[in-house]
Amino acid sequence: MSKKREKEPDLKGTLYSVGVLGAFIIITWFMAFYLFIDRF
Amino acid sequence: MATVAERAKDLVKVDRRDGKLALAHIYVAFIALAIGGLCGLLQTLVRSGTFTLPWGIGYYQILTVHGVLLGLVLTTYFIFGFQIAAVSRTSGTLTDKQRMLGWVGFWVMTIGTIASATMVLLNQASVLYTFYAPLQAHWIFYAGLALVIVGSWIGGAGQIGKYIEWRKANPGQSSPLLTFMVVVNLSMWIVCSLGVAVEVLFQLLPWSLGWVDKVDVLLSRTLFWYFGHPLVYFWLLPAYMVWYVVIPKVIGGKIFSDALARLSFMLFLLFSIPVGFHHQLVEPGISSFWKFLQVVLTLMVVIPSLLTAFSMFATFEIRGRALGGKGILGWFKKLPWGDARFLVPFIGMAAFIPAGAGGIINASHQMNQLVHNTIWVTGHFHLTVATTVVLTFFGAAYWLIPHLTGRVLTKQMNKLAIIQAIVWAFGMSIMSGAMHIVGLFGAPRRSDFSTYGGSAQAAEWIPYQIAQAVGGTILFIGIVLVLYIVANLLWFAPKGETEFPVGEISENAEKTPMALENWKIWLTICIALILFAYTVPVIDMIQNAPPGSKGFKLW
Ligand code: HEM
Ligand SMILES: [Cu+2]
Repeated sequence: MSKKREKEPDLKGTLYSVGVLGAFIIITWFMAFYLFIDRF
Repeated sequence: MATVAERAKDLVKVDRRDGKLALAHIYVAFIALAIGGLCGLLQTLVRSGTFTLPWGIGYYQILTVHGVLLGLVLTTYFIFGFQIAAVSRTSGTLTDKQRMLGWVGFWVMTIGTIASATMVLLNQASVLYTFYAPLQAHWIFYAGLALVIVGSWIGGAGQIGKYIEWRKANPGQSSPLLTFMVVVNLSMWIVCSLGVAVEVLFQLLPWSLGWVDKVDVLLSRTLFWYFGHPLVYFWLLPAYMVWYVVIPKVIGGKIFSDALARLSFMLFLLFSIPVGFHHQLVEPGISSFWKFLQVVLTLMVVIPSLLTAFSMFATFEIRGRALGGKGILGWFKKLPWGDARFLVPFIGMAAFIPAGAGGIINASHQMNQLVHNTIWVTGHFHLTVATTVVLTFFGAAYWLIPHLTGRVLTKQMNKLAIIQAIVWAFGMSIMSGAMHIVGLFGAPRRSDFSTYGGSAQAAEWIPYQIAQAVGGTILFIGIVLVLYIVANLLWFAPKGETEFPVGEISENAEKTPMALENWKIWLTICIALILFAYTVPVIDMIQNAPPGSKGFKLW
């Protein structure tokens, strides 16, 4: 085993990417929700 | 730095005898792709209103062939081929008995497939791949399906046997990740396929043989979907195996976390089965409380899905930064875009973003009315299974087949593979995009071309159906390309050594807790959730059963 965790990896890009992914899901869901409320 | 021991591990080859078994499955998978793909093209042409099938072939006949061959045969066979190779690669060569089980399972499944396919081709079973009652097929169709299921249990037992053997030989150690994942997938498969086995053996077979004249449609659909949703995860988990374990190695990185990968697989096991009602949200005879409960359980899969997304992004970012990527997204450019083993599954991953978003909409209880039985649904699963899953499988085939045949993927083939994936993504964006949009306008799925008596609304759908035919034609070119590459890798590519890439765990990852491998705990929770979600509504369904239906043959 090597010396453990010299440095936490930089995962800023991952944070933003997962954030954008979550936002995409929420936006599309609300678009469909709006259509649903409009129709039913 | 790779140590000598690590280098040696990279060279581990799947034993030739196991390789033959895996290849037998892969052959069947690609034959299914060829025939099923042709049917897909014909469907889009028929639906565009410009083409009529010759020789009295019915639309629903080819749609059944398409759904069965691509949704059931291609997937199951490729998965078994991949899993056999994966277990043999990571836990060691199968014993003669395990391999024997693999072959017996293969032949039982194949006899079943041939029996069912024959009845479909004879136009005795145009019941679509979901074989919903009260549509009634020839009994041989159902008997064939029963054999496929039983065969998969036998073959699956061979794979699980190796895992049990490994655990016995290495007490207290956590098993090879890929083998563990295979066993999770098979556990899910066995638990869920019990439902469809009950449906086929106790409802559909006796009814199609004329031993009973009526069938309880609600119960049969419930048993089907108890199986049908886990089925889609049975397709998806092998793709996740490639993403979690193979892709990190292909890009030269490490697996972000072994524990996280195992946890997300276990969560898929728990939340894939007690959720079938989300396919029956508009069905009478199930109280909305139980629908709601299963909707909540369904949406729990968001957790392991986002864990997976996080884990993949992290693997990419760490690797891209190690290669000198700077800034927030600079790492992205550093990934090996020219390597088909990476790019092809990557396009599959990207497709899973809209696919997953669409899935959440489908599952949102009352909102399901917006899309139910429209071609939106078809657009949805051509992203999930027909893009995410199959592109990942194609990407895996590009190293798995040459690994097993002792050949190499040449530069030209690698390039062609990249072109293939781009063609697929392009064709699918058009076809699936048009399906999604026109589905929201109300265009139905599973329907032959019709102007619906000159209805103005149906006329609006036609341009989108033409777009689907354009996309479908491009997709068919994609099928021809992948078959060409596969044929090359099977028979013509230059001889040589190809690696079966298996990632190492990152040294920064936490140690994997053994609890993740305690099957007693996980299977107990799994079964408890199933009993919780299904017992009361199924008892209700049986006690207040709707009148049975006689069989219909509408073709
Ligand atoms: C050339 C590529 C493909 C084309 C053009 C195509 C086209 C289509 C079309 C137009 C339909 C719906 C027809 C209708 O509802 O009336 C359909 C259904 C379906 N497709 Fe595909 N598809 C292709 C590839 C695939 C692949 C690769 C898979 C699976 C791995 C797949 C799985 C399915 C399934 C399961 C159905 C549902 C059948 C049913 O509703 O009974 N397709 N396809
Ligand atoms: Cu589902």
